[in-house]
Amino acid sequence: MPLGEVLAGIFSVTLAAGVLRVTTPILLPALGGLISDLAGVINIALEGTMLLAAFVGVVVSAYTHSAWLGLAAALAAAAIFSLILAFVHLDLKADLILAGIAMNFLASGGTVFVMYSLTGDKGTSSELASLTMPYVHVPILQSIPVLGPILSGQNLIVYVAFLMVALVWVFLYRTVWGMHLRAVGANPDAAATAGIDVRRTRYQALVLSGLLAGLGGVHMSMGYLQLFQRDMTAGRGFIALAAVFLGGRHPVGTMFAALLFGAADALANQLGSLRIPPQYVQMIPYVVTVVALAAYAIAQQRAVMQRQRRIQVRQAASD
Amino acid sequence: MTIEVAAAHPARAAERARFQRERRRQALAQVVRTLSTVLIALGLGFIITVFVSDKPVQAYVALLAGPLSSTARVGTWIEDATTLTMLGLAFAVVFRAKQFSLLAEGQLYLGALAAGLIALKLEAPGVLHLGIAMLAAAAAGFAFGLIPGALKAYYGANEIVSTLMLNVVAVRMYDLLLTYWLKPPGAGYTWSNPFPASAIFTRFLEGSRINTALFVAVGLVVLTWLLVYKTPLGYELRMVGANLDFARYGGINERRVIMLSMALAGIPAALAGAHLAMGVHQRLLLNISLGLAFEGLVVALMAGNHPLIVPFAALLYSYLRIGGDIMERTAAVGSDIVRVIQATIILFITAELLVGFARRRQARRIAHAAG
Amino acid sequence: MRGITKVYPNGVVANDRVDFTVQAGEIHGLVGENGAGKTTLMKLLYGLEQPTEGEIRLRGQAVQIRNPHVAIDLGIGMVHQNFMLVPEFTVAENIVLGLEPQQRGFIDREKSVEITQDLARQYGLQVSAAARIDTIPVGMRQRVEILKTLYRGAEILILDEPTAVLTPQETMDLFAAVKTLVRQGKTVIFISHKLREMKAVADRVTVMRDGRVMGTLPVAEATEETLAQMMVGRKVLLRVEKPPARRGNPVLQVHDLKYVSETGHQALRGVSFNVHSGEIFGIAGVEGNGQTELVEILTGLRIATAGTVTLTDKAVTNRTPRTVRQAGMSHVPEDRLRNGVALPASIAENIVVDRYFAPPFTKYGWWMETGEVKKTAEDLMEEFDIRAPDSEVPVRALSGGNMQKVVLARELSRSPKALVAAQPTRGIDIGATEFAHRELVRIRDRGAAVLLVSADLSEVMALSDRLAVMHSGEIVAVFDRPRQLTEEEVGLYMLGLKRQERVH
Repeated sequence: MPLGEVLAGIFSVTLAAGVLRVTTPILLPALGGLISDLAGVINIALEGTMLLAAFVGVVVSAYTHSAWLGLAAALAAAAIFSLILAFVHLDLKADLILAGIAMNFLASGGTVFVMYSLTGDKGTSSELASLTMPYVHVPILQSIPVLGPILSGQNLIVYVAFLMVALVWVFLYRTVWGMHLRAVGANPDAAATAGIDVRRTRYQALVLSGLLAGLGGVHMSMGYLQLFQRDMTAGRGFIALAAVFLGGRHPVGTMFAALLFGAADALANQLGSLRIPPQYVQMIPYVVTVVALAAYAIAQQRAVMQRQRRIQVRQAASD
Repeated sequence: MTIEVAAAHPARAAERARFQRERRRQALAQVVRTLSTVLIALGLGFIITVFVSDKPVQAYVALLAGPLSSTARVGTWIEDATTLTMLGLAFAVVFRAKQFSLLAEGQLYLGALAAGLIALKLEAPGVLHLGIAMLAAAAAGFAFGLIPGALKAYYGANEIVSTLMLNVVAVRMYDLLLTYWLKPPGAGYTWSNPFPASAIFTRFLEGSRINTALFVAVGLVVLTWLLVYKTPLGYELRMVGANLDFARYGGINERRVIMLSMALAGIPAALAGAHLAMGVHQRLLLNISLGLAFEGLVVALMAGNHPLIVPFAALLYSYLRIGGDIMERTAAVGSDIVRVIQATIILFITAELLVGFARRRQARRIAHAAG
Repeated sequence: MRGITKVYPNGVVANDRVDFTVQAGEIHGLVGENGAGKTTLMKLLYGLEQPTEGEIRLRGQAVQIRNPHVAIDLGIGMVHQNFMLVPEFTVAENIVLGLEPQQRGFIDREKSVEITQDLARQYGLQVSAAARIDTIPVGMRQRVEILKTLYRGAEILILDEPTAVLTPQETMDLFAAVKTLVRQGKTVIFISHKLREMKAVADRVTVMRDGRVMGTLPVAEATEETLAQMMVGRKVLLRVEKPPARRGNPVLQVHDLKYVSETGHQALRGVSFNVHSGEIFGIAGVEGNGQTELVEILTGLRIATAGTVTLTDKAVTNRTPRTVRQAGMSHVPEDRLRNGVALPASIAENIVVDRYFAPPFTKYGWWMETGEVKKTAEDLMEEFDIRAPDSEVPVRALSGGNMQKVVLARELSRSPKALVAAQPTRGIDIGATEFAHRELVRIRDRGAAVLLVSADLSEVMALSDRLAVMHSGEIVAVFDRPRQLTEEEVGLYMLGLKRQERVH
């Protein structure tokens, strides 16, 4: 097959549409991770939260025959899950990382355990007639050539996810609540003396991050796929954290970083036809993150040294 | 002068004896506390089991007595504990230096990969083959640990993010080499050929996969203990973990220590990978470890990061894992309840519920003993 | 404030029947040495602490200031030495934080900037409202802190050591700003130990010493001598029995040391001195005049901007702590809890941190002889009278005095060529203090060059064979016969009121 045709086959509209779909379960927890990180309580349990929400959504929608009830229950579960994490860390003074890991274990085991008890199946919930969130077809957008199939016809949550980027941005930089949150993360002492309740703000940040991650989980089991599988989040909760750092801890940057991870994932599968091992492409975002992390740290050090040198020069000049 | 000294000594000796006794009490109390945590967690698990199964007692009996019910099962228990011991040692080392490196998973994969490469691509007589494979694994784990170690030590880069990312890179590299080089060409499956007899850890119990790597694990326990408590580097590690400013003030090169802690932890982690590859499976396959490294973290936690306690914590932890599998097979109760039990254990250990209360009492007691 | 007494739970009497009155619209300076009680008094006024006894009256009404919020409501604002600012936020954002102008949850950014600019204009405090805090100089950051208090309606402003981090130009700007504030009807309380500055800007001055008020006078009536005497004179003179020093050659040579911090503050302006073997060379001075930086540079914990340090002809400038220690330098740090000891580690482990890597503690380069460690620790515990039942006791269980003895045991048992001791008797009981003093003299008599840096004037005067005084990053005086000095005289130099013409 001529290379041109192969490439056209790969970089197709289907791929592009796929990228948006694949990015969503990374973007949503990433935004959650961003909020929690900016408040100084980085949420390591995004993975577990997503998993739990994915599971609850499937179960409730199957038993109530309502996708919306499933969504509501999933978000409620995610919120409670995050409250537990917040309580254990903020009030019981447990280490945030270890508590997060514990919550992930809890979700991972708990979901499969309950699924097995309900359906007798340890792998998937296919027994349950769970529902999905609706797909949205936008008439105007639909008819645009090339972009049409990408922008229209996606699951509702995909649109919500990208909309969230804007909402999170407004929240963080234009509302009082968001400003307090950022202050608490940047300098808790300053926030405290300004009268802000640091503990309460951190509680709120963790619950918000849980809700966003929960939404991502719902997308996975009620949009991306139509069932729940054990450990179906496959590390997305941690990739989300990487996306936060790669994106410079800013909503828009996080979005692009999430897109990078999503694109690599979508592309990797397609590249089989070019006889390039997909693992190379899969690795790219991670290597990029490490390199970015290193570059950032080195740059910071250089900046400090430069400032010192400039001061010294000014010193020598004035002597 | 002499009179004063003589008078001081008997009083001193009595005080010292009192202090030693107090310390032993503390250590015992710590063990009791960890065990009670496990008991509480098991209790909670039982309550949940009652709700989901009509034969909860039978299920729990399977969980608690299962691993002992046959020699084969005991073998499986010990084999699992071997891997977890090595992973627990890896975390104990980095946690001693207060570094939050989660690189063990990646180091495990690279260790398995290195061992597998030597096993399949190199030819050598018996023990030498095995030895070289182990060395290669250890070297791979060590070198890999240098990367986030150097980034943290010299540039202050956050080690949690970098190690998590590098883990994925390691696993992908493993998948890559396995799929495109090490698996038999044209095969429809993704695992390598079985390793030659010169490159495997001999199994010695019929019905289970327990193998001679057990002795490697024991050796690692001793070596790690020696490292942490009997070498200057171990001292530096402990001081960096106790108070970084103090270590620097005292002359310790804290950056070198931070970097080395992550690298050295790679050796037991990589050897855990070698154990899986050359002992348990005797070939390379995909997903050779499904997040086992995180379980190693829990083991280290339970053992208070002390190398000599790690094997016991690993045995306890593995017991629950194997028991869970048996419970599932015989009583149809999901083994994942064990996950929930594990989560409860972690939460109790890290939350200050039991620890804080005890620590305050401990401080008061020691101060009292110190006069 | 009348009859204010504050006794802390550990028994320290920070304020002893203090009467302090401030008149509306004045700039009132509150001066005293470290530990005189001035910061405590202001903490009581701002609600950060509660008085054990006494009452506070504001405009004639008795008030209870339970916490800073109450203080703010009463119109009292405080600018601390450590700024409470969020580096990534702008000036305007920091000022309105907690009391933001908002519309249904959304920040009104224009209003924030407007408020900032109005306040700045009204009080003559120049700031760039839209600039990020981490890009502006320290002087402006301080103005932001002041504007914060003004935004919350402060009528009385307390400034705690405001000029500590400022350049001379910024200090002038600050004084102009304070004068403007007073013209607008505000009252300013200025905590400082820099008498020269107080005289330049204050209307009245209250001097505190050892928790008591020594007097309040209008600045015009206060001569430098009177002030110094009130601040520094002590009732009991400390006497340390010490044989005369036998001075040898210079061992520690410091030449033209300069240090500029990240914020541009020049902490050391060309410090030079020599310490000879067999002598105790003391550096007196109020804390915050560069002593911390000096000690850290000498011991390898900080990198100097310029200058050299030599130890017995070996250049040790900007070397690692280990190199400096190997060259023969010991260091008793000013904050033992921060880096002098490792609290969770045992006494034995704390003692060997400077020698664990060599024989007899380490054999063949990799085997540590824990038996030797234990033995050495026990010997040292005996020699230095460290009260603990066993060398395995974690250091966190020891009292302050015992902890310091661990530090001394370690640093003095190395037979150092030079010893740098910073605030060696801070926070420890009398017995341990006397012990420490004896040990310093003992090590001196064994030929070490001892550099004693202490904010405790009586200590440094009693112990030093030669005495220098440090002020604002410079050595302003060196005395060869400190025994002939009075504390008041030294005080004048410490407070920046006098300096020697030629300092050697």
